[in-house]
Amino acid sequence: MAETATREFLHNLHDLPQTVKDSCFRLGKAPESEREESQATFHNLFLHIHSVRVHVRTLKPTLTFGLGLMATASFLITIITGVLLMVYYKPSTDLAYQSIKDIHFTVSTGRFIRNIHRWSAQLMVLVVLLHMARVFFTASYKKPREFNWLIGLALLVLTLALSFTGYLLPWDQLAYWAITIGSNIANSPRELTDAIGITRFFDPGGFQKRLLLGANYVGQDALIRFYVLHVFVLPLALVTLLGVHFWRIRKDGGLAKPEDPPGGLAEWGGEKRPVFQPLATKTYGLMALVKGKRAPVNRGPENTVMSWPHLFWAELSVFMVTVAVTLILAFYSDAPLKELANAAIPENPAKAPWYFLGLQELVSYSAFMGGMLIPMIVLVGLALIPFLDRRPGGEGTWFGTSHERSVFWQSIFFACAVTVGMLAFTVNYGWLRNWFPNIHQLWIIAINPGSLFVLIFAAWSIFILKRKDSVRLSAVSLFTCFLVGFTLLTYFATVHRGPNWHFYWWPSQWPVH
Amino acid sequence: MKDPSRIYRWLLLVASVVTIVYLVGAAVRENYLAQWRTVQHEYRNILREKATDDRGRELLAKFRVEMKQTTIPALGTVDRCVTCHNGIDDPRMTDMPQPHRTHPGHILDKHPVDRFGCTVCHHGQGAAMSFNEAKAEDVFWDYPLLPPELTESTCVTCHDAERLPPDQIPLLTVGMRLYREKSCGSCHKLGGRGGSLGPALDNEGAKTKHQLIMTNLKPPHTTWSWQNAHFRDPGGVVPDSLMRNPTVTRQEALALTAYMLSQWKRDVPESYLAPDKIEQKYRALHPAPLAGEEVYRGYCTACHGNGTYTRWDKKFNRFIPAIRGVSLISTATREYLRANIEQGRPGTQMPAWGSHAGGLLPEEITGVVEYLRSGAPAVPAMTALTLHGDDSNGLSLFLKNCAGCHGMNGRGGMAPEIGNPVFQQAATDEFIIRTIRNGRIGTAMPAFQRNDAPAFSDQDIADVLAYLRTLGEPKAQKAMAQRVTSRTPPGGKP
Repeated sequence: MAETATREFLHNLHDLPQTVKDSCFRLGKAPESEREESQATFHNLFLHIHSVRVHVRTLKPTLTFGLGLMATASFLITIITGVLLMVYYKPSTDLAYQSIKDIHFTVSTGRFIRNIHRWSAQLMVLVVLLHMARVFFTASYKKPREFNWLIGLALLVLTLALSFTGYLLPWDQLAYWAITIGSNIANSPRELTDAIGITRFFDPGGFQKRLLLGANYVGQDALIRFYVLHVFVLPLALVTLLGVHFWRIRKDGGLAKPEDPPGGLAEWGGEKRPVFQPLATKTYGLMALVKGKRAPVNRGPENTVMSWPHLFWAELSVFMVTVAVTLILAFYSDAPLKELANAAIPENPAKAPWYFLGLQELVSYSAFMGGMLIPMIVLVGLALIPFLDRRPGGEGTWFGTSHERSVFWQSIFFACAVTVGMLAFTVNYGWLRNWFPNIHQLWIIAINPGSLFVLIFAAWSIFILKRKDSVRLSAVSLFTCFLVGFTLLTYFATVHRGPNWHFYWWPSQWPVH
Repeated sequence: MKDPSRIYRWLLLVASVVTIVYLVGAAVRENYLAQWRTVQHEYRNILREKATDDRGRELLAKFRVEMKQTTIPALGTVDRCVTCHNGIDDPRMTDMPQPHRTHPGHILDKHPVDRFGCTVCHHGQGAAMSFNEAKAEDVFWDYPLLPPELTESTCVTCHDAERLPPDQIPLLTVGMRLYREKSCGSCHKLGGRGGSLGPALDNEGAKTKHQLIMTNLKPPHTTWSWQNAHFRDPGGVVPDSLMRNPTVTRQEALALTAYMLSQWKRDVPESYLAPDKIEQKYRALHPAPLAGEEVYRGYCTACHGNGTYTRWDKKFNRFIPAIRGVSLISTATREYLRANIEQGRPGTQMPAWGSHAGGLLPEEITGVVEYLRSGAPAVPAMTALTLHGDDSNGLSLFLKNCAGCHGMNGRGGMAPEIGNPVFQQAATDEFIIRTIRNGRIGTAMPAFQRNDAPAFSDQDIADVLAYLRTLGEPKAQKAMAQRVTSRTPPGGKP
């Protein structure tokens, strides 16, 4: 007996690597047939959110440019590097700055990791914005994907909030004054309540600011709030919504794409291919859980490929490209760290993070309009798009319906002209306060370059609506105007605004302090 | 059909290779190419060369290539300077090039590195691991490394500069002397004493470059290059500065710069203070009065010179009176002088010097008054004026003869403001009459009742006096006060 038990033990010991491997991977080997490839997909927790087969269109690089994945990848990178940074970071006004300096100077690879964290966070904001533009211009928000568009908007807001809360943590001059600006934007409803004289009774601005900062100034309370939001609340919310976002992609039938005509020939890659003809007697809807017309199975299998390995190659490559881009940026460019925060020495100009600079430009005209009302209008407007533009067509194709491309270019031209013209006018001639020094503040809140942008862009989209007789084209014109306005204002405030928010052609002309 | 994921596999390959290259690159950069590692390898070679005795061999054996730092919790500093400056406490390294050289002088004997660190004296970014970042002139750091000659300015953190041997602090010694000689206190406060035309200088050394206007300065933009340039040419650095050019040599400007940098009320634990520093703090609470002449030199001469001549000041746009001139002190009583010094002369650049404002002690003001009056002739007796004045006639005489310089309602112009409350209260009738009669020699104020050609009769003088006194009435005073407060303050720039 002992003899056999010993032998069995030795045998098991010998097989140990193989048995451990088998127990980890349900398939246990590289899949060899399509059946095994399907199993590889749905037997894996991390892969099973994918469908087993994907449409070839999904893999076309120019359809999505991998933007959504890139945003996810940069989020994962920030999570990993963020956890590493948390090991050394101390969220206290006395210690925070020194701990970042230590990360920078002495922690092994600390500087590199902090750079990666910073760059992937910046990349994430940029890519999320581009992803939104991609989804819009390929009309991918249309039924049944309206809800996912809303989730996407929430993710955009969370991304901005994550980036913004992270801004304060180094507790340097850049952080301190950017957050001071940010909290003053939260305070901006006061401009309205002050103007009509009800701040004493009703002060939402002051409430928001105190809620954000935990005090009336940027100090320890603000730091710990931002820290908790940055490392716990917001990432948790973002991960949750990200799960919903992915799940809805799958349940809404994968990436938006034009219908393949059933039973006919569909063109793909310059060739006509026969399309899968579903049997009338069989229900292909996955246990009726999937919305739409018996979703993915409806499409011709000739135009689909196995997710394993094709989709996963694509996803992995986008992930690695994101990593590589972040590493290159992090290698050459250090994350900024200015002097220790000092309430006595204001940064001049004190600028918000770049993605809020467009807003800051508007805030410089009217805090309430630029900091509260216009962002609200933009968010509500974006949220309404899929519910107001309900006519199918153009899904999954860039500028898919007729005239879209020309309306897009016209809107770019129009919005550029309006934005540049308005900025040039404001810089040269000032605004109401310069002409009528004693004018009531309510006039300025109501009539300023920011509110005029909104009105003019709205008028333009109504003009397109009437002229082209298409809700989609009207939406395209408005969305394009928003993108152009955002881009130009951000550029303008970044490059051309100097100390005291004065206009300069170039930062090198700023007076040196 | 073409393989749809082919492009992605190529992309993956390229991205992965790039990733690995940069990861390896970052690792190599940090672990092999760091500046401090090279320096420490060099230093080990030096140690090896010098390991000729037991002690040397022991030092060599103990030496490790590693990060080194001095942490001083009491001062809140972490100084990693010793990572590269390995030889500062090794007397054999005096002939070595930096950064291996022994610390010069015997300062480390009394200031061991493990108790004081480096940046408390030298400034700079102690936490940094490369020289450029430690020097911190072009990186974001409030207090860059001080140039060697200015390092003495930080001795004052724990020492009383007056008690340190002058050869240890050559620049500070000169700077302190110049501060008195150039009468900087006429316009600037230090320790609560001084004029109010310029900014107080108590924490001048704590300023960062962001608090100074660098526009007209060539790089490097450091606080000391600003101070240095500013002492050579104040108006050239701060365009509309009221500050008079102190006319100093290059070396003197540097000395004043060191003195300014030493003005820093820095909090260090009591245990770090030298006994003389504690004494100095005690003395500041119970100041010993200076003699009148010293006070005059330190706090008056920048504007009044030696006080025996009147001059027109372009920047102030008014005459600065000869306060030791015979004609003033032969007329002015002690009380008048005292009131003018204590309370200043509203409407002019003359600030108040009483203990509530300029910080002079009552004894010191007495001393200054005596100094002003030293050498004055006895005030001759005056024929009394008992006439009753008519202020309306006084007004017409004033408009014809006085308002041109003293301004409508005596609000001042080229000549002093005679409607202001301090003047009205301090000036006795006798003083005013005497001044009108005799004029003020050395100024534009003529004598109105000379024996040879009397312009005013006694009655006229009485009328003018009566009119002048109406300016002191509450109503006139109120109008005056409103005007004074609504006027923009003079200068304001350093």
